[in-house]
Amino acid sequence: MAGQVARLETFQPEIVAFCCENSGYLAAQMAIEAKLSYPQTVTLVKLPCSGRVDALFLLKALENGADGVMVLACQKENCKFLKGNVRAEQRIEATRKTLQRIGIQPERVAFCHLAANMGHKFVEEVRGLYGKLTELGPNPGKVRK
Amino acid sequence: MIIANGKPIEEVLKSLEGHKKVAVLGCRGCVTVCLAGGEKEVGILASQIRMAREQAGQPVEVLEGTVERQCDYEYFEQVKDIIEEADAIVSIACGVGVQGVAETFPEKVVYPGLNTMFMGANLNVGVWAERCQGCGNCVLEISGGVCPVARCSKSLMNGPCGGSQNGKCEISKDVDCGWQLIYDRLSKIGRVDSLRNIIPPKDWSTSRDGGPRKLVREDLQLESGK
Ligand code: SF4
Ligand code: SF4
Repeated sequence: MAGQVARLETFQPEIVAFCCENSGYLAAQMAIEAKLSYPQTVTLVKLPCSGRVDALFLLKALENGADGVMVLACQKENCKFLKGNVRAEQRIEATRKTLQRIGIQPERVAFCHLAANMGHKFVEEVRGLYGKLTELGPNPGKVRK
Repeated sequence: MIIANGKPIEEVLKSLEGHKKVAVLGCRGCVTVCLAGGEKEVGILASQIRMAREQAGQPVEVLEGTVERQCDYEYFEQVKDIIEEADAIVSIACGVGVQGVAETFPEKVVYPGLNTMFMGANLNVGVWAERCQGCGNCVLEISGGVCPVARCSKSLMNGPCGGSQNGKCEISKDVDCGWQLIYDRLSKIGRVDSLRNIIPPKDWSTSRDGGPRKLVREDLQLESGK
């Protein structure tokens, strides 16, 4: 019983990571295969390109229970669809501003460039956001708890 | 098409204070094309409202709906249920659509979620510009296809004025002088001489100056009036 209470009190941030299938997703697979440890509360969503990401995806994830979201895109100048990663970054910037205006910390949205062979970078980024979210506490805007 | 842009979220939230169940209503017409009020924007706004109210400790239920066109009232039939269920509607169509909701559901409170801006064209991704003011008596035939009403800041019929400099309007260096554009265009089509003809004062009674306008086409009207 005491153990159960302790577990309930330990906040484990839920993260939804939108991953480009040409970079972020492969990096995540690499991390998994290499048995690198990263928080298990991360849900990976595979996208054909980071440019597929939209404010709607990020907001819905946060509304439906995520404490933070991240977008993992290809390195600069290295998008298979040329400008997908640039577009993604623009939308993320806009979403952060929107969140700030409705009283939700913009730091809950992370973005990073990486390559398919960068499993360690994937882990680093996930841990970075996880740490930040642990400090921020649960997302005050989530509707589905 | 009609170009509109989202109202600041703070303004929308202020209107919705005290409401417990709200419907956000989009339009698949112009505002979908200018990325301000289509199905996706309904989802985005609904999500923002829910999260903002949740974090403020005043949760609200938000219903979502989008119709073909809010300026053709028969489409409201498809979203009647959610409108009736909600105690307030946020319409993210242009002002015509917002008024369509008000006229169709006279007992409902409706708020605009967008600012309707102008009739314009999409010049580039994320860039729109005004092209017509609906003056009701088009003069594009004498101005080489460039509208002096919408594109000259003073709607001059015999421009340019003395403020035209280096092709720019005196109101801002970012605004092209409409009459420079007209001159350039007429030169291109070999009609610059037509500028010698003085255009008589325009009859503005067909424009907004004549009061609210209405068009009735008897050739199209049905006996039933419906
Ligand atoms: S309601 Fe307004 S935005 Fe929608 S189709 Fe009609 S004119 Fe366009
Ligand atoms: S002259 Fe009148 S109708 Fe023609 S484009 Fe200009 S504002 Fe529109």
